Amino acid sequence: MMKLYREKDKLWLLIWLGGLLLLWGWNLLFLNKPALAKVQSGLLNTFFISSLVIVFSAMLGWISGVGSYFLEKATSKIPYLTVTFFLNIIRSVPQIVGILVGYIIITVMIQDGSLSSTFYIMIIIAFVISLFVFIEISDLVRERITYFRRRDFYNAMLVCGIPEWQIVNREILWKNSVAHIFNKLIAVFGITVFLLCSIDFIVSVGLSTSVSAVNLPVTLGSLLAKIDSKQDILAIGYFITHPGYFPKLFFEHLQGITVAFLIVFTLLCIYKISNGFARRNEL
Amino acid sequence: MQSKRNEHLLSILVVTAVFIGMIINFGVDSRQAVDARNTALQQYLPPTGSVDFRDPQQRALLKETLDIYFPENQGDNEALVLELQRYLSGETAAAISSKTLGSALDGSKLLEILGMLLSFIFVYVLVMGITYYGVQTLAIFRFTRMKQERESYLAELWTYVQSLRNKEKKDALNPAKIIVYLGKACAKGLLYFILFSPAYVIAYSFKTRFDTDSFFFMVLLGVISNGLLITYAQKFFTFLVGESRKGYVETAMVKNLHNDYSTNEKSGIPLKNIFALRKAFPGHVFEHIYINAHQQYLAAIKEQASFLISGLVIIEMALNIQGHLCYELMQNILYRRFDVVLVIVLGIFLVVKATEIFTDSWIARDARRYANEEGAGA
Repeated sequence: MMKLYREKDKLWLLIWLGGLLLLWGWNLLFLNKPALAKVQSGLLNTFFISSLVIVFSAMLGWISGVGSYFLEKATSKIPYLTVTFFLNIIRSVPQIVGILVGYIIITVMIQDGSLSSTFYIMIIIAFVISLFVFIEISDLVRERITYFRRRDFYNAMLVCGIPEWQIVNREILWKNSVAHIFNKLIAVFGITVFLLCSIDFIVSVGLSTSVSAVNLPVTLGSLLAKIDSKQDILAIGYFITHPGYFPKLFFEHLQGITVAFLIVFTLLCIYKISNGFARRNEL
Repeated sequence: MQSKRNEHLLSILVVTAVFIGMIINFGVDSRQAVDARNTALQQYLPPTGSVDFRDPQQRALLKETLDIYFPENQGDNEALVLELQRYLSGETAAAISSKTLGSALDGSKLLEILGMLLSFIFVYVLVMGITYYGVQTLAIFRFTRMKQERESYLAELWTYVQSLRNKEKKDALNPAKIIVYLGKACAKGLLYFILFSPAYVIAYSFKTRFDTDSFFFMVLLGVISNGLLITYAQKFFTFLVGESRKGYVETAMVKNLHNDYSTNEKSGIPLKNIFALRKAFPGHVFEHIYINAHQQYLAAIKEQASFLISGLVIIEMALNIQGHLCYELMQNILYRRFDVVLVIVLGIFLVVKATEIFTDSWIARDARRYANEEGAGA
């Protein structure tokens, strides 16, 4: 137990999974079947899209980080300056604004008929989100390469004839930076859950004629925007002035409370897991 | 610094030029665009003439009928029913005649958007200032607790219970102490939940209790929600911990700088210094840890600004705060006024760029002051 307490990332991972399981059991007992099916579907879609974002961000971040390092060393500076210029522009765009523009494009594609499968829509959504979060991975990759570039082993390996791309990719990034990149990806998972739920909430609340809920995959954000969930959330404010109402929150207002709790609990646990992982690996 | 400034100016010029080109391209009068759509909707009116669009059951029946005939266009069917409802209830006409959406993108419209942008910037600067203070204060408070070797309240409760078990003389368990520990742990847990809640969850919880459209509530939400405060406090805390492990700290301790982190000792760090607006810890090794960590934190301010703006956009859109920039953005997306959308997005981009230029200047000034480096920056 003490070992688990000291390894906070594993402790919070257990707390997160345990919390999800407990909540699922409670909902099995007290939430009606159609609502439970929607909540399950929303949760799975949210986690699926967030997992895809991790994959896409890792790929884009690795490629752009390593690519910009080698471009900087090239004879002609123009490709490097061009790539850096575009990366800086993406960095200057607030993530939610960029993702909103991406959603508009997805909507146009759905209404055109170019996109119809929910699975492909989820992949496109994940790609759009990853375009605005991969920069953090790219910065980390550049930072790690710059840090190890100054070490003696780098030049020693070059002198021994080992190709530079192998030193960068295998020795620096794979052998010495996987923990750092993994820690960053945990944080990216949390950011994605937050951004995805927020954008889906905004789209469901404000743009419901342009974007049809039928075509976009159900996520926790779009579930929270439904009128019955919003009324459930309103009940939280009611309980503060009427404390006796507290037990009813977990029976009569279960759908909205469940969705809101899932979002907040996931964000909190992911934050704690990321911190615990960094502390355990002394990052 | 000059090269960084040139980089910023170049990206502003290029993005502005591209956006102006797109604005001109999308600059169709909204009346023409909506009139064209309304004409297209006319063809659906005779077949649906008997439908009462105010009745949700009849709307649902119409939608199901459309789904039977056009099963591959379920999304379009739903959108069509909603559009017909809006058209027949006169909502579309009202929106067109309204000041907000009726006019083309002319001087008065641009002035209106500029006014909303200035209001947005005011809220942004205020929230940025408060979070700048809050991030550092929280991080320093947490760092001080770490140095005092304080654990979590539940761990302290566990230690207390274990200490009673291990004592030879069995002391009585003090229920009041247990309640205090549990109460503190619950309060901390609740605080974490609030700090990590998206703004719309907090706002909808209190929608019937407070005026959630007020300026004060918007600033409050911007500060405490979306995980902004806690995320960047953690970042600053990481910088403090990193600095505290460096060699100069031990050198400073050998040279008799104070390194006591208690808050009630003369040689420690008083709480008033932790909560002061201008952080200063004279005669204490933490002064130097703080200065060095602060320099690293300045680079993270750009990221914090971008995240904060995302948060404010979410707050204004999700709560439908009328007369505000992001609500205007959402309405113009809804009515396909993409020229206005582009103007607003450009305005937000310029705000972020201004923050980046300001932060880079600040970093360069600090680098000249502390590191004797000219033109140093993030």
